[in-house]
Amino acid sequence: METKDVVEELRGIFVNRLRFDPARAAAIEPETPLPKGVDGGVGLDSLDFIELSIAIEERFGIVMDESQDLAPHFASLQTLSRFVVARVAGT
Amino acid sequence: MNGRRRVAITGVGVLNAAITGGSAALAAWLSDPTAVASARGGPCQGPEPSATSSGGPGSAGASAHPPGRLRARGGVGGHVGAPHSRVVDPERLAGLIDGGEARRMSRVCQLTVAAARLALADAGLGGDAGLGLVVGTEFGDLRSTVEFADGFLSRGPTGLSPLLFPNTVMNTMASATAIAVQARGSTLTLAVPAVAGELAVARAAAGIEAGRLGTVLAGGVDQAGELVQRVARRITRSPDAYGEGAAFLVLEPLDTALARGARLLGEIRGAAWRAMPARSCAVGRGTDARGIDEALERAGLTAADIGWLYTSASGDEPRDTWEAATLRARFGQRTPPLVSLAPVLGRHAGLGALHVAAAGWTARSGLLPSSTPSSSRARVVAGPGLVHGLARGGTHVVLAVDA
Amino acid sequence: MTRIVVTGLGTMSPFGAGTEAFWSGIASGGCAIRPITLLDTDGFRCRIGAEVPEIIGASPRRSRADRLAVAAAREALRDAGLGPRERRDAGVVVGAVGGGMLEAEAWYWTRKDDEPDRAALAALRAILPSTHAEVLGGAFGLRGPRETVVAACSSGAVALALGCDLIADGRARVVLAGGADSLTRICYMGFNALKLLDLEPCRPFDRDRRGMSIGEGAAFAVLEDAEHARARGAGAYAELAGYGMTTDAYHPTAPHPEGEGMIRAMEIALATARLDPRDVGYVNAHGTGTLQNDRIEARAIRAVFGDAPVLVSATKSMIGHTMAAAGSLEAVATVLALVNQQIPPTANLVNPDPDATFDCVPKIAREHAVECAISNSFGFGGQNMTLLFRRR
Repeated sequence: METKDVVEELRGIFVNRLRFDPARAAAIEPETPLPKGVDGGVGLDSLDFIELSIAIEERFGIVMDESQDLAPHFASLQTLSRFVVARVAGT
Repeated sequence: MNGRRRVAITGVGVLNAAITGGSAALAAWLSDPTAVASARGGPCQGPEPSATSSGGPGSAGASAHPPGRLRARGGVGGHVGAPHSRVVDPERLAGLIDGGEARRMSRVCQLTVAAARLALADAGLGGDAGLGLVVGTEFGDLRSTVEFADGFLSRGPTGLSPLLFPNTVMNTMASATAIAVQARGSTLTLAVPAVAGELAVARAAAGIEAGRLGTVLAGGVDQAGELVQRVARRITRSPDAYGEGAAFLVLEPLDTALARGARLLGEIRGAAWRAMPARSCAVGRGTDARGIDEALERAGLTAADIGWLYTSASGDEPRDTWEAATLRARFGQRTPPLVSLAPVLGRHAGLGALHVAAAGWTARSGLLPSSTPSSSRARVVAGPGLVHGLARGGTHVVLAVDA
Repeated sequence: MTRIVVTGLGTMSPFGAGTEAFWSGIASGGCAIRPITLLDTDGFRCRIGAEVPEIIGASPRRSRADRLAVAAAREALRDAGLGPRERRDAGVVVGAVGGGMLEAEAWYWTRKDDEPDRAALAALRAILPSTHAEVLGGAFGLRGPRETVVAACSSGAVALALGCDLIADGRARVVLAGGADSLTRICYMGFNALKLLDLEPCRPFDRDRRGMSIGEGAAFAVLEDAEHARARGAGAYAELAGYGMTTDAYHPTAPHPEGEGMIRAMEIALATARLDPRDVGYVNAHGTGTLQNDRIEARAIRAVFGDAPVLVSATKSMIGHTMAAAGSLEAVATVLALVNQQIPPTANLVNPDPDATFDCVPKIAREHAVECAISNSFGFGGQNMTLLFRRR
C-alpha cells in the first residue's frame, strides 16, 4: 500500500465519517495542517481526531496505541498516511 | 412584587416549512397564509440531507411517507396542507448555515442555530456575552441518537461515532447555539411534550421579570422523524399533526429595550406553568386551570380582559378536547375567539414560541389569523390575549401577551 | 429576599437505597464501582461502572430510571414531612438525560423493525426524559410548577437551581428538585467511543488518572421557603444560599481551556450569596477523573479561592459519574458535609496532581468545621453550575 492510496482513503474518511463536503476533502493538500488553531489549516478538533482514529483503525485494521503521543502523526494527510503505511506494514 | 421588570419581545426568528425570517416574515404569513404559501411555489421538499444511515427507523424524513400519514383528521382545524409542506426545505436551511459549520452540526442543531440568528438579527443585536438561552424541545436530537445506535448495531464498537455521541443528549441544540451566537449566560434546555416552546418562553420571561436575566433568546425546536410519528401514533392512538421547525424570541427588560431604541413586538405581561393531574402520555379529566388564574394575576388582568387565545390544539383529539374543556371551565360562554397554528404548521416545540410571537402581532394589529389554512380571512379582535398550552401528562403553560 | 432551605433528602445511590446508605458509603471512603451487570460489555475495553444494587419501593412496570426517581423522591418527601395539601401545591423540577432509554434500547436492539408490542410500547411511552417529572407528579400528587431540564452532566444540580427560582419568584413554596438516570447502552458506549473511561475505578485529581467511571442513581431535595418551613415546624438541613450558572460557548464536549465559565459560575454563586471565597470551607468538585476536567477544574478552583484553605473532594471517586443524578447526589453529599461537619474523601487518590494545589482529602473522611460549601457540576455543552449551601 502506498501513501498516495492511503491519502485517498483518508479523504474518503473525511467525507463519510467527518462529514466533509467531497469537494472540500478533495482540495485538502497532503501538507495542509489538520489541527484547529493553525492558520490555513483544516481545523479538526479533539472530537474529530477521535472519530478519525476510530475510522482508521476500522479501515486499515490497525490499533492506535493511546499511551503514545500520536499528535505528530496527525499533523497532516502526509504524516498520517506515512504512519498508516508503516503500521500496516507492521513496522 | 415590587421592582418587577416588564418583559418586551424585541426579535423573532422563525424557520419552518412555511416561514423563514424575522418578525416581518411572520407578520406577512399571519396576515395571509395562503398568499405566502403560493408565493413559495408549493412543495419543495425531498428527504433530509443528513440522514446517512441506510433506512433505519428515524433516518428517513417525513416526506418519505405515503401522503396522508401526517394528516390531522377532525379535532381543531381539520384542514391541513399536504404533509410535505411541514418539512423545512433543505436548500433554505443550507442557505442559513455556513458550510464549514454545517459539517459538525446535526440537522436539528442547524434549525436551532438558524432560527436563533434570525431572531438576533431581527432584534438588531449581535453577540452578547451575557446573553441567556432557553431551548424547549420534545424529542431533542432523536435522529442522531438513532444513527449513533445504528452505528453499533451494524458495525459493532468501531461503528460508534464520537462525533454523534454529544448529540444524543438533548442539550446539544443549546450547546451548538450558545457557541454559534456566543451566549455565555445561563443556558437551559427544557424537555416536555407539546408545550416545550411555551414553557421555554415562560421560563425566560420569569427570569427577566425577577431581574435574574438580561437579554434572553428563548424558543423551541423539533425535527420531523419517522420513528417519532410511528411510535407516537401508536401511543396516543390519535392522528396528531407533527411538523418541524424552530422559533426563537429575543426577550429583554422593557427599560433596556426602550433605552436602546429597540422595536417592540409585544409584551409578556405574565406567565405561569403548573401541572394538571394526568398520567404520563395520557390526558386528564380535571379542568381546574389554576395556571390560567396565576398567569392573569401576574399580568394584572382578569378573564374578562382577554380578547383572544392561541391554543395548543394539534389534531390529537382527546388532548384537544381536554384543553377546550379547560378553557370553557374558566371562560364559560364567553370564551374568546381562539386559534392554533398547529394544523397548518404541524406540532413541534418551535410552535409554542411562534404562538407567543404571533400573539404579539395579534395584540398590535388587532387581527387573529384564521384557523382554517385555506382561508386568508383574519378575525378582528381587541385587547390582550393568552397563549395557552396543555400537554398529555399534564404540563400546563399560560402566557398573557399584550401590545 | 426569600431564604430557601433544604428540608428533605432522598437518595438512591450505588451504595444502596436511602440517604443513610449513601452517606455512610461516602463517609467511609468506599468505592461502589464494580463490573457492569446491566449491560452487555462484550467488545468494549472498559467493563466497570457503579450500579444501584437494589431499588426498593417502585413498581417494576416502570423504567429503571423512573424507579430510581420514585424511590428517591418518596424518601425526600417523607423526610420533609410534607402532607398531601403541601404536596399538592409543590413544584417538581427533574434533571434528566437518558429517560427510559435503557428499556427502549432493549426493544430497538432486537426488534426495531417490528411494530412495537404491548411491552415495547410501555417502554417507548417512558422514553422521554420528561417522563420522570410526570411520574413523580402523578405518584405524589404534585401540581405546582413542573419542569424537566436537560443539562448533560450538570442536570441534577441545575434542577435545584431552577427549584430555587420557583420559590424566589413566589411560584411555589415547596419544590421537589433533583436528578435521576440509569445506566444506558448509549451512554456507556458513547463514553467508550470518546475514550474517556478508566479501565480501573476512576481516580479524580490523581496524577495518574485515566478517565471517568460511569454510574447511575437518583437524588432529590425538598427545597422550601424558610418561612414556610418554620411555620409548619419543619427542621432544615441547610440553606441553599446561591448558585451560579454559566455557559462556556466554546466546544460541544471539551471545557474552556482556562476554565473561564467554571470560574464565573463559582464567582456568581459567591456573589449572589454575598460571600467571600474565605467563607467557603469545602468544595465538592465535579472531579470526573478525566485528564482535562480535573486539570482545568483544579486551576479554576485555584483562580477563585487562591490560597484560602479550602478542602476539595470528588464524590465520583466512590460512585462514579451518575450523569443526570450526579449534580443532585453531590448536592446531598455537600449538604450532609455541612450537617455532619465532616468532609467526605476523594477515594483512589494516591499521587495528587501538581495542578491540585489544595487538600483533596485523600481516602479518609475528615472532621472539619465548615459553615459554607459549594458543589460544582459541569456538563457537555459547556454547562457550568455551582450550588452554594450554608449551614443551618
